[in-house]
Amino acid sequence: MANTNTGEIMLKMTDIHKAYDDLEVLKGIDIEVRRGEVLAIIGPSGSGKSTLLRCINKLETIDKGSIAIKDKFLVQTKDSEAVYASGKAEREILSSTGMVFQQFNLFPHMTVLENLLEAPMQVKGLKRSEVEPYARELLAKVGLSDRADYYPSQLSGGQQQRVAIARALCMKPDIMLFDEPTSALDPELTGEVLKTMRELAAEHMTMVVVTHEMAFAREAASQVIFMADGNIVEQGEPEAFFAAPKEERTKAFLQNML
Amino acid sequence: MEKLFDIFLLMLDGTQITLEIFFVTLLLSLPLGMMAALGRLSSLKIISRIVEFYIWIMRGTPLMLQLLFVYFALPMIGIRLPDIAAALLAFTLNYAAYFAEIFRAGIQAVPKGQYEAAKTLGMSYPQTMRRIILPQVIRIVLPPVSNETINLVKDTSLVYILAMNDLLRVARTIVQREFDMTPFLFAAIFYLAMTFVLTWGFKKLEAHYGKY
Repeated sequence: MANTNTGEIMLKMTDIHKAYDDLEVLKGIDIEVRRGEVLAIIGPSGSGKSTLLRCINKLETIDKGSIAIKDKFLVQTKDSEAVYASGKAEREILSSTGMVFQQFNLFPHMTVLENLLEAPMQVKGLKRSEVEPYARELLAKVGLSDRADYYPSQLSGGQQQRVAIARALCMKPDIMLFDEPTSALDPELTGEVLKTMRELAAEHMTMVVVTHEMAFAREAASQVIFMADGNIVEQGEPEAFFAAPKEERTKAFLQNML
Repeated sequence: MEKLFDIFLLMLDGTQITLEIFFVTLLLSLPLGMMAALGRLSSLKIISRIVEFYIWIMRGTPLMLQLLFVYFALPMIGIRLPDIAAALLAFTLNYAAYFAEIFRAGIQAVPKGQYEAAKTLGMSYPQTMRRIILPQVIRIVLPPVSNETINLVKDTSLVYILAMNDLLRVARTIVQREFDMTPFLFAAIFYLAMTFVLTWGFKKLEAHYGKY
């Protein structure tokens, strides 16, 4: 999967800086993701990779830099101050992203189907009859048609995470963000979630995936970034990146992961 | 036998006062408690502090003292309330403070991830509270709210100091007049019947909200 993609730029992050009090967690990160690309971000814990991901949909705010999604600025820096888009503009920009969390974060008081219907009906104001066919289609796609009326607590972790993916997709986002989607799962359950993600990648969904799954990064990603201490240490296409890493830190990290 | 029936009728009158105070207090203090809980959690320090002070006063002084204050002290500064209104004011302010703390703990018990999930799906703060957070809070707070509600049934008997003829005061009056202890037994049975209905009701509610 060579990075010959010249499609539209879906996400552009420039010179991202973020600090918690005195602790600098992001020290000037640049990222560009084009339509249909899968960007895998790997790195040791505390490297800032999850924080970076969470900046994309404003779960975390940045101190300096700019983030543009489909050419619209979510935030840009003017006079060394990060200025966010406001109100309706911000909601519109953010609505093109969907997120999948490490802890699934399904709504426990709603059935699987209700979890999928909730946002399209509440946020987009659609009627149930307008969303339900698509929601059921998504459930079929993640292999959970027969669980539509179950509550999340009645499902395994892997099933819950697949519901969470379907829930995010139900809002028809242009970019899917994954924050260590398999880290909270028992090893035997990671496969089913990764399979769903691979299928999404094969359908050319634009994805940014923070992960510890090197096999997934190697096979499904079109671009890999290795982060450490708030910096991008190394970046490249997966084949070259995994076969012949250039930086010592990358080598050491990859060796540890095997 | 006829005498017992008369006593029973008198005590039904008293029960009416008791139930009136109970229901009106509950109806007013639950929403007020919810607002206080949200105020307590407000990011505006000043609001949070004011609510915290109010809760401290209400939980830190006896309900009996609060009743006396509203009934006897407020008229001195020109605020004279009818008996029942004075009782309701004190009860509502007191119970709202307790409910506020229960609701606050309930809201804080909902994981942060629920807010984040709702936010990434584009839901606004009011939508998130109404559709995602509060339904989960209700499940968490039902047992402690049930507890407080049963307390309220019995606390209503404090209005006897305001010379209101609630269930217990009626019972006591008859006991003192007739030198007959049966009214106390009746009163106990009446209170037990009320708490029985409440316990049953809350059990149903818990089953309804606990189905997931």
